[in-house]
Amino acid sequence: MRIVVCMKVVPRPEEVKVNLETKTLDRAGARSVLNSADMNALETALAFRDAHGGTVAVLSMGPPQFEPYLRVALAVGADEAILLSDRAFGGADTLATSYTLATALPKIGGADLVVCGEESSDGGTSQVPPSIAEWLDASQATYVERIVAGKDGTTVLATRALEDGKETVELVLPAVISVVVGSNEPRFIDYDRWAFAQSAKVKVLDFAALGGDPQYLGLQGSPTRVAGLREVRKPGRRRELVTVTADEAAFRIKAEIERVGRVRS
Amino acid sequence: MIDVREGGIWVYAERRGDSFLPVSLELMGKAREIADRLGVELTALTVGRDGGAGAQLRRYGPDHVLELAHPLLTTYDAKAYATAISAELRRSKPSTLLLGATRNGQDLAGRLAIRMRTGLTAHVTALELDDRQNLIGWVPGFGGGIEAGVSCPVRRPQMVTVKPGVFPLPESGTPTGDVTKVVPELSEKDVGSRRISFEPKGSTVDLTRAGVIVVGGRGTGGDFTRIERLAHLLGGEVGATRVATDAGWVERDRMIGQTGVITHPELALVFGASGAVQFTVGIEGANTVIAVNRDPAAPIFDHADLGIVGDLGPVVDSLLRALAA
Amino acid sequence: MVEESKSSVPIRFDDEAWEALAATTNANRCFQCGTCTAACPLADSTPMRVRALIRRAQFGETDPLIWKCMTCAECNASCPRGVDIVGLVRHLRQEKWRTREVPKGLPTLLWGIYSDGNTFHLPPKDRAAWMKDVKVPGRGSTLLYVGCTASYDPRAQRTARSVAKLLNLAGVEFQVMGTDEVCCGEAARSVGNVGLYDDLQQRNSDAFRKRGVERVITISPHSFDALKVGQSKYGGPQVVHYTQALEELVDSGKVVGTVEKRTVTYHDPCYLGRHQGVFEPPRRLLELSGLTLVEMANNRAQSLCCGGGGGRMWMETDPLERPGSRRVSEAAGTGADLLATACPYCISVFESERGSEVIPVTDVAELVASGAKG
Repeated sequence: MRIVVCMKVVPRPEEVKVNLETKTLDRAGARSVLNSADMNALETALAFRDAHGGTVAVLSMGPPQFEPYLRVALAVGADEAILLSDRAFGGADTLATSYTLATALPKIGGADLVVCGEESSDGGTSQVPPSIAEWLDASQATYVERIVAGKDGTTVLATRALEDGKETVELVLPAVISVVVGSNEPRFIDYDRWAFAQSAKVKVLDFAALGGDPQYLGLQGSPTRVAGLREVRKPGRRRELVTVTADEAAFRIKAEIERVGRVRS
Repeated sequence: MIDVREGGIWVYAERRGDSFLPVSLELMGKAREIADRLGVELTALTVGRDGGAGAQLRRYGPDHVLELAHPLLTTYDAKAYATAISAELRRSKPSTLLLGATRNGQDLAGRLAIRMRTGLTAHVTALELDDRQNLIGWVPGFGGGIEAGVSCPVRRPQMVTVKPGVFPLPESGTPTGDVTKVVPELSEKDVGSRRISFEPKGSTVDLTRAGVIVVGGRGTGGDFTRIERLAHLLGGEVGATRVATDAGWVERDRMIGQTGVITHPELALVFGASGAVQFTVGIEGANTVIAVNRDPAAPIFDHADLGIVGDLGPVVDSLLRALAA
Repeated sequence: MVEESKSSVPIRFDDEAWEALAATTNANRCFQCGTCTAACPLADSTPMRVRALIRRAQFGETDPLIWKCMTCAECNASCPRGVDIVGLVRHLRQEKWRTREVPKGLPTLLWGIYSDGNTFHLPPKDRAAWMKDVKVPGRGSTLLYVGCTASYDPRAQRTARSVAKLLNLAGVEFQVMGTDEVCCGEAARSVGNVGLYDDLQQRNSDAFRKRGVERVITISPHSFDALKVGQSKYGGPQVVHYTQALEELVDSGKVVGTVEKRTVTYHDPCYLGRHQGVFEPPRRLLELSGLTLVEMANNRAQSLCCGGGGGRMWMETDPLERPGSRRVSEAAGTGADLLATACPYCISVFESERGSEVIPVTDVAELVASGAKG
């Protein structure tokens, strides 16, 4: 079984700012991390490999400076790492991103199972995993908490966390799954693998190596446009402190509950 | 330039058994409003094993109801659903498709958008029309700190998934529109997954996904009846500090904090907790925190949006009365 | 039906593992006298038997109770054969990282330290929040190393501010690393992850060198121990605990002042006392401030652990197994007005054991600062 884990390097959410004049994102000063849900995806893949054999490759898209993050994934336990890096890939929305990732898969040895995190902390669309599945004409299961191997190696059983309960589906391979954030505890770096992780070759593929249809790549190939940005972050807690009667306190709390209720998802 | 008026507005009405999810009905209300403004037709689309259920949607103001019915559509599968729906989208060429941002809604939309080679704006919390009548969906990103307005000006249908609760649930009215049942062309190879079991949400405690958490600490003195009633009334969960679980007032899996659960609710109501960092790291991700504590110097107030200095008993009693009223 | 007996498994000596252990811990000198078991504060409340733990290690087995150990070093202090039992426990824990048999929550702790630089999973950008209104000269070769707890825990932040205030009063030129500071690595070492510990020592060494640091003053005894031991291999700066630095300043008259006349009892933190042998500076500071010191029966090298060391801050402990409440009772039994200590973990544990309801818990630096003048 060959498993490919799609991982994204994201800026720390609290360090990204909106430049209010240009209405663009200022992420220059922001430190980066591996997307949290993708760590759960990696753990899912590694645990599956440990139980059933096979290999785990991590695949990411981004500038060359993301390479050290992929080396972390190697130190954690991945067998190989591939970075898709080209200016032509920049500015991609979910269609272009999923196209680029899906196009890369046959070039890096294919995958029986593609494992992604449920969503990224920056874009938060959760659309890339099902979109990759469509480009590959593969089966899919999103919001997965647990996978186990099917009987004859041609399927996996995936348990999805839905709003009203847990659904277990039998997925025909090849398949793409997305893993619920926090559904497992990602194993920590294995420092015995550190030397390997630092010296291993991270395969970097650019547009020329990837091939593919330029009409689906990068900003050009993205059908959506960002029409505006606004910062809604609270500058920390409001820290309003009042000493009032119980009835007034109840009134204030009720008003807050109603305010939250209006924006509740 | 593509004009949204060139095609109608479609709403994917997600079924749960023989009824529809509230979010789908919320979208019907909003879509009717937009359709009227643009002078286009509204179609409600529903998918399942049989037709029939779709007639209920006539009470929410559609011009048409389209039912896709096939035995292979009995349980949800992205591949089969996308195949069935995309055929109809290609035939009728609507300008807009709205879906609820439920887990299956997201699962379907991501696949369908690629099948249609179109743009998708996901998890929308506000919807506007720009001056060219393109939909702008506002979506939260970066942990909710930043919102982006996203549109899809050059491809159709423009697809949007909207979070539940963003739009009001419309009143059901006099049935309108016609109902058409279509049996899509599907075969086994169009199906990617098969549901083999389903376990309805049980009684297991999962604070990590709770939208509202009512927390009791040392200040409760061990009486959690009010806390429990409040949590029940708000549709939330009871949480506790270490002191409260140590004392056995509340079961251990409700302990919040560094050695307990890290929560991300929309609202955390914290009663009688002093606010040690080992606890507060567990509510750092809450959208809004309200704290009640007798001690005005309690560190919990540094972690609260609204802090109330006072005895929690009378405050909770008043609050229970106010909420019941 | 006959149940298969587990004792039918043949006993085997794992010589290789044992030799690796013995090389760093003198474990081969153990003659199973059991003094360690008797000294262990967990012996009363848990099935922990240190002697048996060492014996099992000889068979290549790891006692699952290693995770309960607080690395308080009472066993080390009592061992007549000089076995480094704390080192042995850390070594056994290290092996468990290899086989991925560590308690739930510890990998998450380490990921937080690795990527956020602190033990709380809080944003690195908030690391300087402890300073509030405190001004720091930002010059000189002395560094105040604040550590994770005093950076993020509001209770311990007060200690850091007190130390900074006293350094300012004495006219000491010093710098802090602010949002660039990262964890000292003690938490990683305590749970047995030497890889991350070494990584953090390296990161800190690089930062110290870049900033021209010759002397490091730590708030936490855990940072003190970890940096003192860890930086020595880099030929790094001198590392002292704040009680040592402040004692010099008070002694040389750079800071004076007396606090309200009260009696105080002092709790020796394990990592300041038994691990690093610093017993007198905190006592002298209290006395120089005009407080009357009364000792608990278990003082200095016989101090009772609060229960927060050895990674126990990040593992839940059964209320019946927590030594902290015992220690609070002992402190209250002296009749002192205050319980003072010099470790953020000890304070945090005593507070969560409702210590302040029995006897007010405070920090040495806070006491000194409350009455100090430049």
